Amino acid sequence: MRGSSEHAGVARVLLASPGTQGAVPDCGRALQGHGLALGLEVVRDVPACARALAAGDAQLLVVDAGCASDQVGVMLDLAEEAGVAVVVAALGSGPLELAYWGSQPVAACASTGAELVAAVRDQLDSNGSAGIPGSDLPATAILGALNVALLASDAAGRISHCNEAAARILGTAADSLQGLPLSSCLGSPLPEAHPVAQSLSGGESFEGYETTLVHSDGQSIAVGLSCAPIRGPGGDPVGVVAVFNELREARRMRGDVLQREKMASIGQLAAGVAHEINNPMGFIHANLAQTAEYAAELRLVWSRVEALQKVALAGDPVQLRAAAQELAAASEEVDVPFVLGDLSKAIRESQEGSERIRHIVQDLRDFSHPDSSERESADINQCLDSTANIVWPIMKHLVVLKKNYGDLPPVPAYPMQIKQVLMNLLVNACQAIEQRVGQSGEMGTVELETCVAPEGVEVRVSDDGVGISAEHRQRIFDPFFTTKRVGSGMGLGLSTSFKIVERHGGTLSVESEENVGTTMRLFLPTGARAPG
Amino acid sequence: MNSASPLVLIVDDEPRILSALRRSLRREPYEVIAVESFREAYHVLESQPVTLLLSDYKMPGMTGLHFLSEVARRHPAVVRLLITGWMESIPQHEIDPVGVWAVIDKPWDDAELKDTLREALKAGAPIPV
Repeated sequence: MRGSSEHAGVARVLLASPGTQGAVPDCGRALQGHGLALGLEVVRDVPACARALAAGDAQLLVVDAGCASDQVGVMLDLAEEAGVAVVVAALGSGPLELAYWGSQPVAACASTGAELVAAVRDQLDSNGSAGIPGSDLPATAILGALNVALLASDAAGRISHCNEAAARILGTAADSLQGLPLSSCLGSPLPEAHPVAQSLSGGESFEGYETTLVHSDGQSIAVGLSCAPIRGPGGDPVGVVAVFNELREARRMRGDVLQREKMASIGQLAAGVAHEINNPMGFIHANLAQTAEYAAELRLVWSRVEALQKVALAGDPVQLRAAAQELAAASEEVDVPFVLGDLSKAIRESQEGSERIRHIVQDLRDFSHPDSSERESADINQCLDSTANIVWPIMKHLVVLKKNYGDLPPVPAYPMQIKQVLMNLLVNACQAIEQRVGQSGEMGTVELETCVAPEGVEVRVSDDGVGISAEHRQRIFDPFFTTKRVGSGMGLGLSTSFKIVERHGGTLSVESEENVGTTMRLFLPTGARAPG
Repeated sequence: MNSASPLVLIVDDEPRILSALRRSLRREPYEVIAVESFREAYHVLESQPVTLLLSDYKMPGMTGLHFLSEVARRHPAVVRLLITGWMESIPQHEIDPVGVWAVIDKPWDDAELKDTLREALKAGAPIPV
């Protein structure tokens, strides 16, 4: 579209009309206020019209039939040269005059205000632009296409607009909500403090407010909602408009990150766990092979026993003697006392190995098991023990573990999340020790301490590893901050832990000295004062 | 066993593995000594004519590879083998300079293990690459 600079985005229409300078002629008034976005420019005479057309961006010339006819002739010529269509406004004129205008090179002639509006609109449309493209699209079509849920109400709180996206989230048809009170989907009764209510009454705006809506099936839906008052001419709120989006997606994505970080920690442990399972697998496998060999050897001895039985019944002493000698030879070859003894030992050791594997798998299952939606009474000492069991395979070659547990009251918590935090602290402690001792063969010490603290419990995980520099200490709880090499986690471990602890209403803090060690201090409240 | 039979030394911190290995190699034509630490292993190496050494990789304090490289220096004639559940995590460029005759994965196959040990004993100690 060819918009002039002073009317950017608006169709520039010239109106040639005689009359008083500065006054808007009747036909001009007819064009205003009809939803036409016009840059209406009144030209009083031929020179003004010529100048305006020469500017090159006029889209239409409306000629008032009240102009002098000689002037009209020149204007029509000028318009034709400029390639601008002409609409004649002959308001109130009769059929004869209209017939005259019809014979002239003009695009249309209007005898009423409505005809004039229609003719101008037609012309602008046929020019390939009608003011702002799509500016005459109905608001309902725009709202319907909007992929953000939108609700609007009047001053009385009755729903006036509900678009498709909103209807989809609310599980209903868009038009079925029209006229219903807002409380039918915001929850009844609508609390005065609700942002939508405040927008309506106090004219305040809100952004990103987390609340719930009522689905048509009665379930609540978590949404993020922004709302603002719609103001009347006097500035008073005459309604409210709210947009919202469902938080399920957002929540799920946040959950994904938590899960991914947990899996990254588990990935670090997987190699250790595989080793831990592999050792018992190794000896169980070998023992089974040996057991099969022992069974074959014992079968050989047994066949000699059967032969001996047979000749014993026959009573021939020579045969009996021979059979007994064969049995003795086989027994000696096989070393029956040893085989019997070692067979029991192999079975016992294998049973112990399979029991070990069972424990490892059970620990892993406990660990990967998602929490229930409700908090449980968690035994923090038990959480610490089961986490230490999981981490033990990667610790045991590096770390001497000391435990000093106090008698703790139960803590309302999501145990899996707490274990995730503890695992993170333990893995970090091991890595700090690994960084310090390298391949020297030296062992580090990790100390796990728990005790009762005012209104809660405290867990301390201390290591004698490399420690954290003062500069890094400020950043360790930042998301994606890591000093570890690529592939050893995304740097979300401590920031995730921090968030988990915060959600439990607790605190996580660090004390560290370079080349001396680090103590991570976790406090969890026993009271239910925690949010979330 | 007579004094002429080769002596095989096995090191693993997991006593059940030692027990199973001893069981597997019970009827093999060599004597087996099994110990649970590098310290004990050094002691055996210093005091007895060990022909072949089979060491676990993941051990407390030091890897089997470090231990084997130490043995390569002090007792170069001893044939050196690793046994590991961590094969994937030992880079070849770390194994090469130590002159490891073979790396055996846990869990091992009895028949293959016996074959490998017999071959290794026949071949003698490799020169580190």
